[in-house]
Amino acid sequence: MFTHLFKLIWNKKKQNFMLMLEILVSFLVIFAVFTMLVYYYKNYRKPMNFEYDQVWSIGFKMQDRPQSNDSLYVFFEALKNQVKSMPEVEQLSFSGHNIPFSMSTSQNSLDYEGRHVRSIHDYTVSDDHAKVLKLSLVSGRWFSKEDDASRYQPIVISEFLKDKLFGTGEAVGQVLDKESDHPRRIVGVVKDIKDHGDYQAIESAMFRRADTNALRWMEQALIRVKPGTGVAFEGRLYKALASHLTNATIEIEHLTNKRQAKNSMTLVPIIIMMVVAGFLVINVALGLFGVLWYNINRRKAEIGLRRAIGAPAGSISRQLVSEAMVLATLALIVGCFFAVQFPLLNVFDLPASVYIYAIVLAVLFVYLLVIICSLYPGKQAAAIYPAVALHED
Amino acid sequence: MIQLQNIEKVYRTSAVETLALNNVNLNVNKGEFLSIMGPSGCGKSTLLNIMGLLDAPSKGEVRIDNEATTSLSDKQMAHFRNKKLGFIFQSYHLINDLRVLDNVELPLLYRNSNAKERTRLAKAALEKVGLSNRMKHFPNQLSGGQKQRVAIARAIVGEPEIILADEPTGNLDSAMGNEIMDILLELNNIDKTTIVMVTHDEHMARRTHRLVRLFDGSQVS
Amino acid sequence: MLKNYFKIAIAVLKRRKFFTFISLFGIAFTLTILIVLTAFLDHLISPQYPDTKRARSLYINTATRTHSGKGFQSNGPLSYHFLNKYVSSMKTPERVGIGSIFITTNTYINNKKLEIDMKYTNADFWEVQEFEFLEGRPYTAQEITNGDHVVVISEQTRRDYFGETTAVGKYFETDNVKYRVCGVVKDVPITLIFSYANVYLPYTLSKTGRNDTRFEGMYTAIILARSKADLPAIQDEYQQTIARIPLKGEEFNELHSYADTYLASFTRILLGKDDSSGVGKFVLSIGLFALFFMLLPTLNLININISRIMERSSEIGVRKAFGASSKTLVYQFIIENIILTLIGGLLGLALSAIVILVLNSSQLIPHMYLAINFTVLAWAFIVCLVFGFFSGVYPAWRMSKLQVVTALKAQ
Repeated sequence: MFTHLFKLIWNKKKQNFMLMLEILVSFLVIFAVFTMLVYYYKNYRKPMNFEYDQVWSIGFKMQDRPQSNDSLYVFFEALKNQVKSMPEVEQLSFSGHNIPFSMSTSQNSLDYEGRHVRSIHDYTVSDDHAKVLKLSLVSGRWFSKEDDASRYQPIVISEFLKDKLFGTGEAVGQVLDKESDHPRRIVGVVKDIKDHGDYQAIESAMFRRADTNALRWMEQALIRVKPGTGVAFEGRLYKALASHLTNATIEIEHLTNKRQAKNSMTLVPIIIMMVVAGFLVINVALGLFGVLWYNINRRKAEIGLRRAIGAPAGSISRQLVSEAMVLATLALIVGCFFAVQFPLLNVFDLPASVYIYAIVLAVLFVYLLVIICSLYPGKQAAAIYPAVALHED
Repeated sequence: MIQLQNIEKVYRTSAVETLALNNVNLNVNKGEFLSIMGPSGCGKSTLLNIMGLLDAPSKGEVRIDNEATTSLSDKQMAHFRNKKLGFIFQSYHLINDLRVLDNVELPLLYRNSNAKERTRLAKAALEKVGLSNRMKHFPNQLSGGQKQRVAIARAIVGEPEIILADEPTGNLDSAMGNEIMDILLELNNIDKTTIVMVTHDEHMARRTHRLVRLFDGSQVS
Repeated sequence: MLKNYFKIAIAVLKRRKFFTFISLFGIAFTLTILIVLTAFLDHLISPQYPDTKRARSLYINTATRTHSGKGFQSNGPLSYHFLNKYVSSMKTPERVGIGSIFITTNTYINNKKLEIDMKYTNADFWEVQEFEFLEGRPYTAQEITNGDHVVVISEQTRRDYFGETTAVGKYFETDNVKYRVCGVVKDVPITLIFSYANVYLPYTLSKTGRNDTRFEGMYTAIILARSKADLPAIQDEYQQTIARIPLKGEEFNELHSYADTYLASFTRILLGKDDSSGVGKFVLSIGLFALFFMLLPTLNLININISRIMERSSEIGVRKAFGASSKTLVYQFIIENIILTLIGGLLGLALSAIVILVLNSSQLIPHMYLAINFTVLAWAFIVCLVFGFFSGVYPAWRMSKLQVVTALKAQ
């Protein structure tokens, strides 16, 4: 029966060409949507691995800072002590611009025995950063005062980066960038964090200890406050900061809000795209339904004949549904050929599994669509009276 | 072979009732070649449809091969048509998008048979009607007579006991018509297939065993 | 003849309601999306309150500083010092408005937190931009030089900070500094980054970069020409000025910056390369997107049209038998199809009016009001015609090839 249907469609390929082209293009659109959905869903499933609920960020844009290293150090220590002296504040750390859920990123590369890893998120942070964000260590320790005397710059890397650099080997204690004038030593490995929002992929990350030089440009602090701390305290904190940092523009933000803003930057385009794709699919479905339905009228005689020579009603409706499926299959084969190029050529730097899931889902979706669109026309066809159909002309 | 008892067929449209068949009683014997004649609209095609289980009578009973058909389900009826009946139509009703061989194979598709067996039987049937050299053609590449021969091959490929032919020569000139008639007669003679043929050609009708005339839905002879 | 076609088209549409529905749905929906997108683009590109003089304005967004030897490259807004020294002194412009990128800070009032986006400007900023003052006036050059603590706030900020009352003469506190409000302006959406802020302050009050003589900073400039014809001359003068700037003692040896028209000032950042502003690339990619987006609905319409034609094959047969040439039939079908798309276009227009209404009232982007204007309408009309033409041509060609006999027979 399958070969029979195939012949039927193949011999009509000219008439069916446009229909197949439409299914093909629909498949590609659906494939694109599913690729995005699968990609973001996979990312969404991964844990954040840090706590942001009670964390606020303090931005202080200031121009004139103390000039000497010592007075700079004293200035920051005083700021830190002043904020930490408030009973609502549990922890405080200073950071570069790339605090969690911010729009700015900073990337660097690392060398280890001829291996060059690029696009590593580079966080310059002070010692209490792990406590503020409650990062979880996998091995080693976080950097602290005991690194003051170290010959190397102490860094903590993420698990993802560790796998890239060392595979299953030991990371803690390794020295990186040996050739450069500022070699770094790994003191700890932390679980991967998703600090760019719920839907962002895990990427390589390294945390380096802020040195005096960093105090010249750091403009962000993160604080962990006690649960239930509200706007009243925020106002007081702002006043306190403003009196200490007289020549700075200060902005306090809550990481929960920043997360929402960051997530919606990912979600809004997805939602818009899905609405558009959804309408396109409805459009195509209606069109397919119309064409299949109409085709029955054209094939009344053929259907009547099949009934006359012994095809039961069920077989007719099955035939029409199967024909649509064969048509879809032909289009999908071509579509898959195009879709498979994405993982093969690694077009968008996404893992191959994302594309494969997306292809499978898109294929199933198109089949489902075709079945739904052909069920009713199939039923209509089965209801054709052979005697009437055969004697119409 | 076929028994029609008190057949009545009424067509109802919203306003009028048309009596297409009125109390028709007819017996077709096994191995008989019967022709039905009558003017246009006298109900001959309706009668043939009822014999072929394509249409149900409003009243009366159809027995084929001593089996009552009124109570058969759609599926059973389809199976019955597939096994016992073969159809030939005035306008051939070949599927234009299928090649000749595929057209002939069609009835076998609705049976349990494998592809090789189907091709073998279809080739044999085409051989019988003398069209083995046209297997790979599409129907619209053939002449009318050839098309009707393909339709006959399709009717006999399932080796039915009964062939129902609705004006098989109606669209053909007399030479081609005679050719078709020869094939049908041969089927009747050699394979002992029962044939019922609707026609309005006296000349063709006279070549069959028995002639039944219909007028306004009633049997007149 | 056209009237005749029109009659037939309407009759055909009425006969097959389901197909008509599918066709109209597809056309209307596609056009709705395109109209809403063009309305948004139009909002971004066309002159808007308060940046109404865009036609004779040029914008300096950023400068790129490179050192080819060291592989150093840095790109960003410029300092007030740079713009004041080199741009404000140019001969060809009428005025040069200078404003900072907006800087966010907080202010707390009645246990409520306000996020304030501040913009530091010079006095000409108020001349170059046509703000609507609900009360008060802009700060003057004299106030700026004096370093007076005066600000202009937006309507929204007035409501949030002072409530439903006037604000001029009252004091507004943020960053622990008290400012006297000298004016209140109508709100500007964030999409107009050269104009948008909640609070406007004299540049002399900026806490950063006051005495900075470096090139990079946080300021952008809007150059207003006396007339549109002067724009090329201003661009030339700016390039000459840039070329003359001494780069000795800097960490870079090349400086590139352009005074661009509004659209080009953005496309240069996104798509520009070397001297090309990227406007061409931008238009091309928008066009390609629109084409690809329309591909699926067009294919759908083609398929439906093919079905419709086959259904009408007997009509076509009769027409041919009575002497209609293939050409006239093709014309007839294309015109029918264009009529169909135009009806769909009207529906789409109505639908997009609703969508835009919903978008505007939802305030997805605060203070952004989209509108279907005449440019958008004209585009929609062109899109309709193109759409109708393309989806009609292939089916019409198929139709014209139908043989009379088969057309008459296939009922």
